[in-house]
Amino acid sequence: MTQLILFNTFNGLIVGAFYALMALGLSLILNLSGVINFAHGGFLALGAYIAYTLLPHVGFWGALAIAPFLTAIIGLIVERLLIRPLYGRDPLYSLLLTFGLAYVLEDGSRYIWGAQSVPFPIPEALTTPLSNEFFFLTGYRLFMVGLVAVAVGGLFYILNRTRLGMRIRAGTMDLETVSTLGVNVQILRNLNFGLGIYLAGLAGVLAAGMLGLEPTIGTSLIMPSFVAIIVGGLGSLPGTLLGGLLIGVASGVTTVFFPSATEAVMYIMMGLVLLIRPRGLLGEEGRLQ
Amino acid sequence: MSDGNSQGKNGFSRRTVIKAAAAAGALQLTGPFIISARGEEPVKIGLDNPLTGTYAAVGGNELHGCELAVEQINAKGGILGRPVQLLVEDSTSGDAGTAVQKARKLIERDKVNFLLGNVNSALALAMADVSSEKGVLHIVPGGHTDAVTGKTCHWNVFRVCNTTQMEANAVAPALVRDGGKKWYYITPDYAFGHTLQAGLENAGAKLGVTKIGADLTPLGTTDFSSYLIKAQAAKPDVIIFLVQGNDMINALKQAVQFGLEKRFHLAGAQQELEPLIGLPPEARIGTWVFEWYWNQPNVPHVKEFVEAIRKKTGGHVPTARTWFGFASTWSCALGANAAKSLDAVKIAKAMQGMKLPPEVGLMPDQPFYRAGQNQLIPNLFVGHAQAKGSDPEDLFKVTTVVKGEDAAGTLEETGCKMTWPA
Repeated sequence: MTQLILFNTFNGLIVGAFYALMALGLSLILNLSGVINFAHGGFLALGAYIAYTLLPHVGFWGALAIAPFLTAIIGLIVERLLIRPLYGRDPLYSLLLTFGLAYVLEDGSRYIWGAQSVPFPIPEALTTPLSNEFFFLTGYRLFMVGLVAVAVGGLFYILNRTRLGMRIRAGTMDLETVSTLGVNVQILRNLNFGLGIYLAGLAGVLAAGMLGLEPTIGTSLIMPSFVAIIVGGLGSLPGTLLGGLLIGVASGVTTVFFPSATEAVMYIMMGLVLLIRPRGLLGEEGRLQ
Repeated sequence: MSDGNSQGKNGFSRRTVIKAAAAAGALQLTGPFIISARGEEPVKIGLDNPLTGTYAAVGGNELHGCELAVEQINAKGGILGRPVQLLVEDSTSGDAGTAVQKARKLIERDKVNFLLGNVNSALALAMADVSSEKGVLHIVPGGHTDAVTGKTCHWNVFRVCNTTQMEANAVAPALVRDGGKKWYYITPDYAFGHTLQAGLENAGAKLGVTKIGADLTPLGTTDFSSYLIKAQAAKPDVIIFLVQGNDMINALKQAVQFGLEKRFHLAGAQQELEPLIGLPPEARIGTWVFEWYWNQPNVPHVKEFVEAIRKKTGGHVPTARTWFGFASTWSCALGANAAKSLDAVKIAKAMQGMKLPPEVGLMPDQPFYRAGQNQLIPNLFVGHAQAKGSDPEDLFKVTTVVKGEDAAGTLEETGCKMTWPA
């Protein structure tokens, strides 16, 4: 029993790292632009399908490197053409827009690649488990956790050490002041959106290696990401990361005792956090409440 | 939302985000609709089936089968000499409200003579309530839960795909032979999964099988690792996967990445070609039952059917789903022509015990609708998945063809007590 709980805690951290990757992208866009991006799952699917299309030409590693960038470019275009006109309006507008966009992306993927799920092979070197006992620690999953760590590290580096990142953070605090100081807010929002979509695309390629690749692949993954943001605290990226890891572990450990509630436990957690600490675990007081 | 006090600096509030998260749940349930065709005075068959969402692939294949059948029926003189028209509506994959609304639209506005659907068992049951209230002949091509032709059977509701108990009875001996007698179930947490597991426990008990454990997994589960950790710790002979569709792909893909196929027999009951195509070759493993399979070299008419579907789909073979749609649509024509009427009661009476001819049945024995239950009793195809076959889509090796009568149990066991309109 102890071993089961331990295994599932470890395993939950792995799963949670993946949720966090997707939630971080959502969180970035939400914090700076105030857009709740419902289409995030759609962009995830798009990233996965682009990788699938590139796979025969550039191999897994090439697809992993290129596909998220291409997805981000589509994200930049979508932000410029569709989302930008809605800044400054009631957030309901952008919410409805991305809600519709989620359908467009899902049905578009179905139109191009078909409803039938397609196989997405991963390199053989990554498919073997480390040992018989720790069979759930496969090369692929460890690689995924490593990549999430690198991506998160990179993201925090960009946000804390680069000019763009500092502007994004400053804009998150007070966009008007940043704007009056001469920063081009339009470009800032555009790049920030692209960065968020890059993370969605990356999550998509990683997901395709573990899950069946079909047009709805993002739909089932977007809910845990929303929960991660709310549990971790709106406005806080470390909070989002923590939220992702926490719900991963919580649903993993729940499997041991009450398997049919693995999904429900995430929402129970969200409810409890909202009751006890309405701004989320690491959400800053007075912001986004 | 217009309450300025509750808004943050960016113009949205925590409540907005929570509402948005709730709406994201709704996103999974709704879907757009498909435009339907119209014509003059033909006999109308209304298909109310998923074309979007999780079941879009299998629903699309059923549609191909329906379309081919309509072409063939029209080429052979139609129904009672009148041409046949197929009207198609997207029921969505999981929203019973939409499915019911589309069924009512087909019946009340389009005045269809026959109603077909649904892939989703819950939607099939909801549609059956509408069709029996309206007295319209209704055929369920591919919703498996027992109740459709069991406890909640109706005189006007027929079903082509098997009951879960039939599948369990057919596959259980092969699971014991290939795997062993200690089973661990990974079961989807909805009507289909519950009845399929109960069916296997039933069938297994007669063969001396013990249940080591069972986990219910929510529909749409993406990560099966925590269930797999639990299942392997119980040290069963066979890990039985009863999940379907994309859940099946996720579960098998992850189990094989964990190397569990080297330590346990990974298998299950109902398997379909759609998930096998979506799996990487190394995960196409295990003992299963197919409800229909396209590679039946010695059965007449099957080859022609496969060729006709390949032409329609750009080279893809028919799956069991294609055959469900095909047999369901043909059943409408066969029933009406046998009854010499479009009256639903007369057709339903004519279909009691009706056999499907070989060019529609497309299997070694002639399938028939069991009288008093309206359930089609076909052959079942037990075998194992294979990484490669004679064709890129030949991913299953049939080892035993089980007679439907041997798997169906008695009429009393189904719990169906049919009442006819006075």
